[in-house]
Amino acid sequence: MNTDMNQLETAIEINGLTYAYGRAEAVHEFNLTVPAGRCYGLFGRNGAGKTTAMKCLLNLLRPCGGTVRVLGLDPAKAEVEVKRRLAYVPDAVAFYPWMTVRETLDYLASFRAHWNREIERDLAGRFRLDAGQPTGALSKGQRTQVALIAAICPEPELLLLDEPTSGLDPIVRREFIETVIGAYQEGDPGKRTILVSTHLIAEFEGLIDEFTLMDRGRNVLTLGADQARERYQKIRARFPQAAPAVEFKEAMDVRRNGRELELIANGGGAGILEQLRGLGPESLTSEALTLEEVFVATLK
Amino acid sequence: MLLQINFKSGKPVYLQVVDQVKAAAAAGGLQAGEPLPSIRPLAEELRLNRNTVAKAYTELESQGIIETIPGKGCFLKPNQSPLRKEVRRKLLIEEIDQAVVKAHHLQVPAGEFLELVRERLEVMDEKRRASERNSGQTGALPFRSTTDRH
Repeated sequence: MNTDMNQLETAIEINGLTYAYGRAEAVHEFNLTVPAGRCYGLFGRNGAGKTTAMKCLLNLLRPCGGTVRVLGLDPAKAEVEVKRRLAYVPDAVAFYPWMTVRETLDYLASFRAHWNREIERDLAGRFRLDAGQPTGALSKGQRTQVALIAAICPEPELLLLDEPTSGLDPIVRREFIETVIGAYQEGDPGKRTILVSTHLIAEFEGLIDEFTLMDRGRNVLTLGADQARERYQKIRARFPQAAPAVEFKEAMDVRRNGRELELIANGGGAGILEQLRGLGPESLTSEALTLEEVFVATLK
Repeated sequence: MLLQINFKSGKPVYLQVVDQVKAAAAAGGLQAGEPLPSIRPLAEELRLNRNTVAKAYTELESQGIIETIPGKGCFLKPNQSPLRKEVRRKLLIEEIDQAVVKAHHLQVPAGEFLELVRERLEVMDEKRRASERNSGQTGALPFRSTTDRH
């Protein structure tokens, strides 16, 4: 089964994926390509279809239409092989509540061919987890930490994170992200792929190198993170008198307030700046939109 | 040398790391032979993709700013002007052009711009002199960790 494991260029390939819960369509002709080695963000509002799409990758749901390939394989036909090579951290983590942390990790390790004990010891210490505590007595943050340890110790090629940090406190969130960078990415630099779905975009900003914005089951925007920050600009101008009532064709959004103008540009920033300069502003500034602001500007 | 990433600058993240290391080297925040943090702790600290930091280090290395000593880590190169004069001038001109364009956007007039340049040169100079005075005290760098974890 070791075919193209070394030359694999695409970790995830989704083509025309459609899924409906009864008559309610959650994902509609959705496309997504995640190159191997990338940290890829899947952004969208609650109910955009992110979790449904991820569940199709795991064969937890069978697509109504379209194709899904994970590490070059069809998860419906090669479920064991696919699950052997990836790990998944869902939003709500559930363990047997009567098992201790130690027993839970041993239990989860028993399903894996490979389990890095050193990483396990490292992370359990870092998260200050009590091995003898039943998981039923853990906080939500601690349960997520156990799930993260269980996801990283098998050192999978692909890490699927579905809203992993929602509902956690800021310290736990930071530790979560640092762990993904340190313990996971460092293991096999440049080869480990991460797909993270979230609406808490700001925290993942530095980690994401490419993203897809999903809305109502569809792919609305796919872009590199640096590219997005270069293309989307917030331009502010202040005039000595009331801001001129000029139309800005290239602006996505214009806000006016007395002498001030705020424009959002998607690509045409230079042209808008040129146009504004011609109007004799008192001050003129521009800055990049963060990924979260790109999200808001696109879906508003 | 403490790095700070600004996602609102519109500049690619790896380039921000490259430019800040260069700036630290020019201002004495990082001195020849001094180690840079390893990729992993730096990526964790800035919460940046590991590959982004690795790309920045590769770029710094190919520009001859830093060198990697196997098993020891990355260091600022002792005498890092491997480029011929006209190449150096060309690189600098590109940067100056960008600043000139920016000044135009921000409506900073030429005189004020030149004054600012003079002021910054003095600030950098002062920083370098100050850090040279303190250069006897090694290990006083504010890195969270400089131990090599490769």
